[in-house]
Amino acid sequence: MATRAAETIVPDHVPPSLVRDFSYFRGPEMEPTPCGHPQAALSFVHREGPAIFYAPNNTYDGRGTWVFTTAEDQRAVLNNTDVFSSNRGIFKAALGEDLPMVPLEVDPPNHMKYRALLNPLLSPKRVDAMEAGARERAVRLIEGFRAKGTCEVMNDFAFPVAVGVFLQFLGVSDDRRDEFLGWANEQFHGTLEQRLNAMRTVVDFMKSLIALRRHEPTDDFVSFLLAAEVEGRPLTDKEILGVAVLLFEAGLDTVAAAVGFDLYHLATHPEDQQRLRDDKDLIKPAVEELFRAYSTIQMLRTAVRDFEYKGIAIKAGDLISCPTMIANRDPAEFPNPDTIDIARDNNRHTAFAYGPHRCLGSHLARRELIVGLEEFLTRIPTFRLKPGSTPITYGGYVFGIENLDLSWA
Amino acid sequence: MKIKVHHGMCQGHARCYSLAPDIFQLDDSGYILPGDIAVPAGQEPLAQRGVRSCPERALEVS
Repeated sequence: MATRAAETIVPDHVPPSLVRDFSYFRGPEMEPTPCGHPQAALSFVHREGPAIFYAPNNTYDGRGTWVFTTAEDQRAVLNNTDVFSSNRGIFKAALGEDLPMVPLEVDPPNHMKYRALLNPLLSPKRVDAMEAGARERAVRLIEGFRAKGTCEVMNDFAFPVAVGVFLQFLGVSDDRRDEFLGWANEQFHGTLEQRLNAMRTVVDFMKSLIALRRHEPTDDFVSFLLAAEVEGRPLTDKEILGVAVLLFEAGLDTVAAAVGFDLYHLATHPEDQQRLRDDKDLIKPAVEELFRAYSTIQMLRTAVRDFEYKGIAIKAGDLISCPTMIANRDPAEFPNPDTIDIARDNNRHTAFAYGPHRCLGSHLARRELIVGLEEFLTRIPTFRLKPGSTPITYGGYVFGIENLDLSWA
Repeated sequence: MKIKVHHGMCQGHARCYSLAPDIFQLDDSGYILPGDIAVPAGQEPLAQRGVRSCPERALEVS
């Protein structure tokens, strides 16, 4: 059986002592788990075994990866872009289409010309200007279920918030929300076949949107890209498509998952919920702490040449995984890392990655979370898990929660 | 109190700015302005929190 074989393939240069039975996709807490805590479940790697190890079947398509667990080692990888490339050819491998996601899959120095173009669009100051719209959207959603005394967070709040921002960016009408949600769900959590189909659908949608905006520009993101220049020339169609597709890949599931985990935490930690109700100034540091404790993504890099790191031989072509949820529970970096302290100071978490590829949308994501929690806590009285309901959490490529039913008096 | 800004290390996390926008000023792209920062009297604790929040360690109390 092919999958069986994939589990046992360990390259010759990997010493057996560094091989570990570890996967983001399989096993307890990584597969869908009732009332699970997938981030906490992985912090055991800081207590036992090598800090850098090899996991033979650790991608959705069964490839092996190195796993760098400490914050320090992850910084070394993410800052060494000459050796550790972020151009994995994700779409080329999946669809046979050479479509680098821009700027995620572009390495420095080229990377910076795209960032220089895109940074101002998502800068903290620009996000200030988007806050009113985000707040209005959050209020509308919350008021839609407040009187019911109950809601299912993911469908009623988290995904609509995330997709709403995304559609606004693309100047696409809100009534296509469910369609986008379906693509996101299949692509991030579906079977291999569903993933590939969803990727194709997203690429085709973006292609047609670009064609549309070329004829009828509006003030949306795609029209901006069509009018933009790098190095004195317009962006190519492939570059525009690469940016647009990345927006979908990076901005939907992650924001929704963060909203879900934050409300899951507050529903199950009434003392933290009460503290935030008593002192709204704590929401900002609390959001950072919840980003740390409930980080959802990993950075994946490919070694472009042989490289030795701390005595470990890494070969060209090896994948190196830098999981944020593990580095963010590194005891060398965070005192009592498994304790969630919503007032934590000195919180240099890397939920939005580290180095040149720091998440472009991080400021917008933060603001969505802060605004969402502010409005939720202002408008909804003390909430808890709905009696009899069971949230299901999962690991995988983006950690998340399937469902989160809350109720309040 | 002065803060040394290692401008080349800034990756635009803006964690410092979110804590103390009056002390840590950003350019239009969201990166910290170059040049060391003289912290106004009384703002030292806030400035220190900003320094400690930088994931890239681009800020240093000097």
